[in-house]
Amino acid sequence: MNSTHAENAAQFLADEPRANWHDETLWIVRQKRDKAAANIPEWERLRQQASAIKDEVLANLDVYLEQFEAAAIKNGATVFWAADAAEFNQIMLNIIRRHKAKNIVKSKSMLTEECGLNRFLQSQGVEVVDTDLGERIIQFRHEAPSHIVLPAIHLKRQEIGETFHEKLGTEAGNSDPTYLTRAARKHLREKFLAAEIAITGVNFAVAETGSVVVCTNEGNADMGVQSAPVQIHCMGLEKILPRQTDLGVFTRLLARNATGQAVTSYTSHYMQPKPEGAMYIVIVDNGRSARLANPKYIQSLKCIRCGGCMNTCPVYRRSGGHSYGYVIPGPIGSILAPHTHHYPDLPFASSLCGSCSNVCPVKIEIHEQLYHWRQDLMQHRQTSWLKRMAMKATGIALSGNRRYNTLGAVARWAVAHLPRKLLYLPVNTWGVGRELPQAPQQSFKAWYKTNNPSKKQTS
Amino acid sequence: MSKKTILQAIRRNKPQSTMQSAQEDNYRSPSWSQEECKSLFIKNLQLQGGEIGTLAELQTQPVDFTREDLRAEYANAPLEKLNRLESVLIEGNFGVAENGAIWLEDKDLPQRIIPFITQQLIIRLHPSAIVATMHDAYRKINLTGTGYGVFISGPSKTADIEQCLVYGAHGAVKLTVIL
Repeated sequence: MNSTHAENAAQFLADEPRANWHDETLWIVRQKRDKAAANIPEWERLRQQASAIKDEVLANLDVYLEQFEAAAIKNGATVFWAADAAEFNQIMLNIIRRHKAKNIVKSKSMLTEECGLNRFLQSQGVEVVDTDLGERIIQFRHEAPSHIVLPAIHLKRQEIGETFHEKLGTEAGNSDPTYLTRAARKHLREKFLAAEIAITGVNFAVAETGSVVVCTNEGNADMGVQSAPVQIHCMGLEKILPRQTDLGVFTRLLARNATGQAVTSYTSHYMQPKPEGAMYIVIVDNGRSARLANPKYIQSLKCIRCGGCMNTCPVYRRSGGHSYGYVIPGPIGSILAPHTHHYPDLPFASSLCGSCSNVCPVKIEIHEQLYHWRQDLMQHRQTSWLKRMAMKATGIALSGNRRYNTLGAVARWAVAHLPRKLLYLPVNTWGVGRELPQAPQQSFKAWYKTNNPSKKQTS
Repeated sequence: MSKKTILQAIRRNKPQSTMQSAQEDNYRSPSWSQEECKSLFIKNLQLQGGEIGTLAELQTQPVDFTREDLRAEYANAPLEKLNRLESVLIEGNFGVAENGAIWLEDKDLPQRIIPFITQQLIIRLHPSAIVATMHDAYRKINLTGTGYGVFISGPSKTADIEQCLVYGAHGAVKLTVIL
């Protein structure tokens, strides 16, 4: 996508009732999260502990990864390492070819989205069926997920009803969620039973035991993994936890912070392949090890992909996930995206209100990283000319007492007297969708001079 | 294979802090009595869409996997046969009060897919086998030598269509727990 976040957001906002529904629905999810968190008296301690465990992981990542690999191999799994998306996709294709598989099912994995796995496999003549209901819907529609936990949150039931009518032959005009879910259940049950390979993402990988943990509400990860003889689990290398007991901390946080549930319906622990089955684990770097070197942004590697920062973000809720253009939308996506190449405007799609940092279960200071990114992008001249000039001019204006006073006076006069057309010239991008405040009669400085109570007493 | 390159990059780039290991698992669970654990478990299970029932109330006769002969019969059953399962009974290992989850693992299951592929899942759980929190649960689990284990806290569910809650996305449509 080449258009900017602001342009995409404007498109999203053009349909006001839908935008309002999106905003309100995600806010309800945020409120459920608050209720679930408030139910746990030690919630803040859990966040602290989760953050400390992730710090420990990042400082010893090589050690834990090797420990994990050794344990997984001992359990009977085969482990692959991929430096980037291309290598990951090739590894996946090789496994599929080795097993001569035609029927492949996949449960949710943001990593495979990040690496463009479906698209690559399709180009090689291999079809993958996404089995999470939301993902199946958007796969039918050739769309990208607009939220990492609620991939089809941008769609209304009527649209889904139409898609299912076309693809699954459901009744025209029937958009009852239960009816549509039953139709998907029947359709995907056939896919599960025929599956030769099941692909999953990974929520947590435990170094101590070599197990991978996957959390779902639908049970699609297990329906796939337990039907197909071959299971492949794909993980970003930051998914490691040192010990099994660490899962206690993270399983208490994840679902509560994501959807407000106490835990997902299924929390599955895969250790060994099935009798006569095969189990593969693919560990993917794709830019993660490079980020370790950057103390400003290393914290973003702690993310457990709960989506909490999206649900709370006033910009995300009112612009929709697709407006970001990057595979992971919202505040966390805006710090994970490879900015300097493709997404230089994302760190500016934020009010810096800090709500994302407040809800983050692993205490990533998301809004501070957004702020750092803005500075870095400005320095590397990745921002628009207009923004750079405006910043430079503001810097000059604010750096001298007399300049500041004069400009203040000019601005007060201008806002009060200039015609609207002149004030809202296209260079005033701030004024698009915003109204200038009424200009006060005097500056605060002038007001203080005449109204300062202490001065009055002494004089 | 890129293992070496990746590990080298990590060693080069990782923070060179002298950071201690994160505090060992020192969380002490609330001192809920067995009775309190049981009532919290029931409340949380119901919140997740699970039901509490008795064997007598069941409308269909489940395939009883607490019986060794039936476990053996289904150990090698093909998927088509498993796909016809209407209702199964499984002995649960232990429950978790704070979220209504129940732990099942390989030794409880003739095949791993059974709790998912059946239309209705019935789990029998001893009322004294309920721990307070997930911390206690993970201290209790021994995965060594086990190939697979799962916490189940309700029927399969989805809210992917306009956030409307629907039970029975892919797995069991109904979960009943017999205490």
